[in-house]
Amino acid sequence: MAKIIEIENLRKYYPVTRGFLSKKRGDVKAVDGVSFFIQEGETLGLAGESGCGKSTLGRTILKLEEPDSGNILWRGRDITKSRKNQLKEFRKDCQIIFQDPKSSLDPRMTVGNSIEEALIIHDIGAREERTRMVGELLLKVGLTLDYMPRYPHELSGGQQQRIGIARALAVNPGLIVADEPVSALDVSVQAQILNLLMELKTQLKLSYLFIAHNLWVIRYISDRVAIMYLGKIVELADKDELFENPLHPYTVALLSSLPGSRNRKVLRGEVPSPMNPPDGCRFHTRCEKKLDRCVSIEPEMKEVGKGHFVMCHLY
Amino acid sequence: MKLAAYYLERLKGNKTAIIGLAFIIFLVLTALIGPFFTVSPTQVNFSEKNLPPIGFSSEQSEYSAKVGGLVMTNMHGTWKHPLGTDGMGRDLLSQLISGARVSLLVGLLATGLAIVIGAIIGVSSAYFGGIADSILMRFTDIMITFPFLLLLILIVYMFGSSLALIILSIGLTGWTGTARLVRSETLSLRTRDFVIASKALGASDLRIIFYHLLPNTISSIIVLATLSIPGAILAEAALSFIGLGDPQVASWGNILNAGQNDLQAAWWIAVEPGIMLFFTVISFNFLGEGLRDAFDPKGDYN
Repeated sequence: MAKIIEIENLRKYYPVTRGFLSKKRGDVKAVDGVSFFIQEGETLGLAGESGCGKSTLGRTILKLEEPDSGNILWRGRDITKSRKNQLKEFRKDCQIIFQDPKSSLDPRMTVGNSIEEALIIHDIGAREERTRMVGELLLKVGLTLDYMPRYPHELSGGQQQRIGIARALAVNPGLIVADEPVSALDVSVQAQILNLLMELKTQLKLSYLFIAHNLWVIRYISDRVAIMYLGKIVELADKDELFENPLHPYTVALLSSLPGSRNRKVLRGEVPSPMNPPDGCRFHTRCEKKLDRCVSIEPEMKEVGKGHFVMCHLY
Repeated sequence: MKLAAYYLERLKGNKTAIIGLAFIIFLVLTALIGPFFTVSPTQVNFSEKNLPPIGFSSEQSEYSAKVGGLVMTNMHGTWKHPLGTDGMGRDLLSQLISGARVSLLVGLLATGLAIVIGAIIGVSSAYFGGIADSILMRFTDIMITFPFLLLLILIVYMFGSSLALIILSIGLTGWTGTARLVRSETLSLRTRDFVIASKALGASDLRIIFYHLLPNTISSIIVLATLSIPGAILAEAALSFIGLGDPQVASWGNILNAGQNDLQAAWWIAVEPGIMLFFTVISFNFLGEGLRDAFDPKGDYN
């Protein structure tokens, strides 16, 4: 199957400045050398704790943030250096949905206008045709035509999230970056939105980069799963393989935190600052199975089983 | 439109704002249709000079040919000139109405100009950031440090005083507050998800600015504009009062300026435009504050 997007060694640093003349004090290494690909029709789940760089990664591969180094290949084309006017086709093919459904809709625009804007930007359809298409999109995400003239503040969180999904679908994309799309919703609504996303995926042959910190959600929706820690992907495998046979000590600890799991491993200490990550393996400050070389030598990503990658000196 | 109705409903709960709005509407109507019902403000009639307003009387010395010297006469207000006349017998009511036109024109046009300039500078500064932001904001800082009235005096002194020039100079110097306000609001808006969603859809910068950023700052802009109008009106009055106004128009400041020489003989010439200025300025302030509360999501009127 063809890869819809592939990234190689992607880095995104945010400079930290302080003081009168903005002296640079260092960088927050939000994404620090990440490589993976997503195939057509596949869902890659991306999990990790808060602040590990998941969302930045999602936004950087959509070129909403400029990467500092590395490459983004979209359907085989290198778009890392492409300028805004060269990205029109890419923008049509790769869309995003957000965590906070309320803030993802313009409070001064009706629902219909918000969705229609996507069509206007890409010159899709004449005026009456667009209205019809907006109506179809509303039906597709499980709403009715009555919602068109409403304002976002009149809707519930789940309905707002459906509008956000409809807007992303308007341009008929191949890839959707879903940035924690259900973590701000009630549990019952979470299930509805997840099922909607699954249905749309088979119906429209979508690929997702599904970012979440809830491992149940990740397990439910993903085909493959990547675990991120401090700006790096530490383990990547097929969903079942990763959940049955986790290798990286961080993944093991993360999975053991799920309710119902026996011999829970509690991670000691704090996550180190992404401004000043530890030398060697980034996880060694909290790792139970730390070896001597973990402190000084950074492990490489190794394929230890079929499609099972891990970044750890133990394997 | 539903949002506008909602805000209007909230504004109705604020009595002072409604009083201010009522006075402003009254003033606008008077300025628009008043001139059709009153005598010309420039019609001179020396036999009716320095008439007091209705209900007042004043002692005035007058040359009498019969006596061959000055005599004191007691003058009473007449219904022909309900607000009295000035030293040349010109009707003050029609002068004040013509002054209302000037003041409203200056207030609205100068503020409108200032708001447009300020909004564009503020929104581009915040949206593009970086060097553009630094340059635009330092320029704004420099504009703020200029003593405003002194600058106006200089412009009028150099280029002469016409109403258009006065409006232009008040507008071109008065945008700094708007620029800073719009910049600060845009800074928080531009990182909101709906703006990022538009970028992800490939929307142009202009589209994001005019369809998403500015419409979301409009309530602050309306409040600021309403609160800036009195400043522009007072600036024009101040210029006219020190004799730098447009001599062709009977603005309230011009009438004040003319009346201060006759303060002993005819106090009403200076007092009447002063009262009008006072009520106009306070009405706009009341309305502006009412709008601010109505737009404030935390404010609640039962």
